[in-house]
Amino acid sequence: MVSLISFLKVEVRPTGIIALRSLPQSKMRNAFRYPPPSTLIGALAYPLLHIAGDRTETLEPRRNARSSADRIRPLIEWATVKVSGMPRVYGSILKINRLHRRSVESAVTSFPMAVMYGESDYTLTLLYLLNDDLISASEFSVKDFERAAWGISRLGSRESVVSVESVELGKGTIMEKEMAETAYAFLLTGKKVQGGGVVQGVVDWKEGIGNYSKARIIVMFYPEGKVEVEGRLKVIDVGEEVVL
Amino acid sequence: MFLSVGVRFEANVEALNMVETAGNYTKHRRVPYLVEEDRKLKTIYVPAISGESLAHAYQWSLVKEALAMNLPVCEDCAKGEFFKSMNKAHLKKKINPIPDDSKKIEAAIIKSCIIEDVGGFLYAEKPPVRRSSAFQVSYALPIKSMALFATAEPQLHARHAQMDAKGKKGNVSEQMIYYVETGTALYGFTFNLDLDAIGVSSLGAGPIIPEEEIKARREASLKALFRMLSSAQFGAKLSRFFPVGGITELTVVVTEHPFVVTSPIYDSYVERTKKRLEVIKEAFGEDYFFDSTNEVPEETLRKAIEYLKEKGYI
Ligand SMILES: [Zn+2]
Repeated sequence: MVSLISFLKVEVRPTGIIALRSLPQSKMRNAFRYPPPSTLIGALAYPLLHIAGDRTETLEPRRNARSSADRIRPLIEWATVKVSGMPRVYGSILKINRLHRRSVESAVTSFPMAVMYGESDYTLTLLYLLNDDLISASEFSVKDFERAAWGISRLGSRESVVSVESVELGKGTIMEKEMAETAYAFLLTGKKVQGGGVVQGVVDWKEGIGNYSKARIIVMFYPEGKVEVEGRLKVIDVGEEVVL
Repeated sequence: MFLSVGVRFEANVEALNMVETAGNYTKHRRVPYLVEEDRKLKTIYVPAISGESLAHAYQWSLVKEALAMNLPVCEDCAKGEFFKSMNKAHLKKKINPIPDDSKKIEAAIIKSCIIEDVGGFLYAEKPPVRRSSAFQVSYALPIKSMALFATAEPQLHARHAQMDAKGKKGNVSEQMIYYVETGTALYGFTFNLDLDAIGVSSLGAGPIIPEEEIKARREASLKALFRMLSSAQFGAKLSRFFPVGGITELTVVVTEHPFVVTSPIYDSYVERTKKRLEVIKEAFGEDYFFDSTNEVPEETLRKAIEYLKEKGYI
């Protein structure tokens, strides 16, 4: 049986810097080099909720605060990214002076971020696989998702402004394969990889977006260029490329 | 409505964003610029201005604009100290006793301060209440085609040291020397403002202030951007390192839903932005405002404000 799945392919350009704090609510100065799925979903949720006229950012603030991106989480099957060029994580050292009980205290810290700024033009291709059935039963249409994709304005914190340069809405075929080539990030577990890339532990967004204190960590592989993958793969053809 | 602005400005001999001070040396913020040479990556450090620094300047302009329009600004923000109701001590100045309902806390903050309404806040006590900023600013980076010409150079300065009554020098030399790194570049940055977020709850409680005041706050937010850009009052050390230069290009877009101008660090950003807007119009039937100039930036900002007035939005 051949099954089809809708996808949104969104090409974005950074404004040079992407600041992705790996633990949003903590003081740990750590940065991701590549945006994790939860960030990609948050990025799409913002314009989508704007279209719906919904200004809610936090759900159930009392008990278990979650991001409103959680509302659209079930509508998205999978979110991944392809990055051209090699971003560099850089944190300039800052010296902070503060007055505390009348004495001056000094501390050194840094805010690392991924720098995508240089001679070559970096692009990020965000890829969303949509759950068509759930979307048609929801208040949104696939067309809303398409407009929302054009409205992605940032990835991560507020300095990470991006512009969407193109959006492609298409249908992909789901295939089972033993071997595939891809430039998109994928879940590493149970797969053998040939080629270069970066392994990043990210939160399991399927469990909810917003409160990560107890979240499960999943391991993603972010290829640099194309890599060859072996394993029991579910492959979706999205034009000239495949997604695992 | 969503406003997105791309700004290119020339800044010669500026000290707009200083970071660490090591002894008598004050360093300019820099970021790596990656260059490929013989298929190997090389890094060149170029001067940069953080979005945080620009955001501070914007909020400070907003304070002035709001006060001129008789809109509420809290005591802390009015002093330019953007604590944003971060703890009990600061929140108590707005509402006392502090309720334990997050919606009531949010309403009290938004009603009493336009800066926290537009710029967001984080009350980090129990229950925590947060609001994202309605505006977003990128880093200001040298435009890519000219990044290699951007420089950061230390300038030598001298300051007189105090002598004792007899004029003896002792161990103190008569002059203290220090260095300030100055940058020179053609910078580009992006500024976005989500006008629909102003005055509306982010906890799902709808509008918190009357429609008329929301409109006034939107207008103040636009005027603040106008004032910030037009007066070039952003960044640090303006009293002695006011940069020589000014805005060279400005592109303003207003759309119904979020849409961001292509970053002005890319040379083709005006054309690309225009083309993408056409796609939005064709595919979704959405109206937009677009204007771009390399002559009088104030004129373009004024037109954008006029457009929003015509739409009955401010
Ligand atoms: Zn305030």
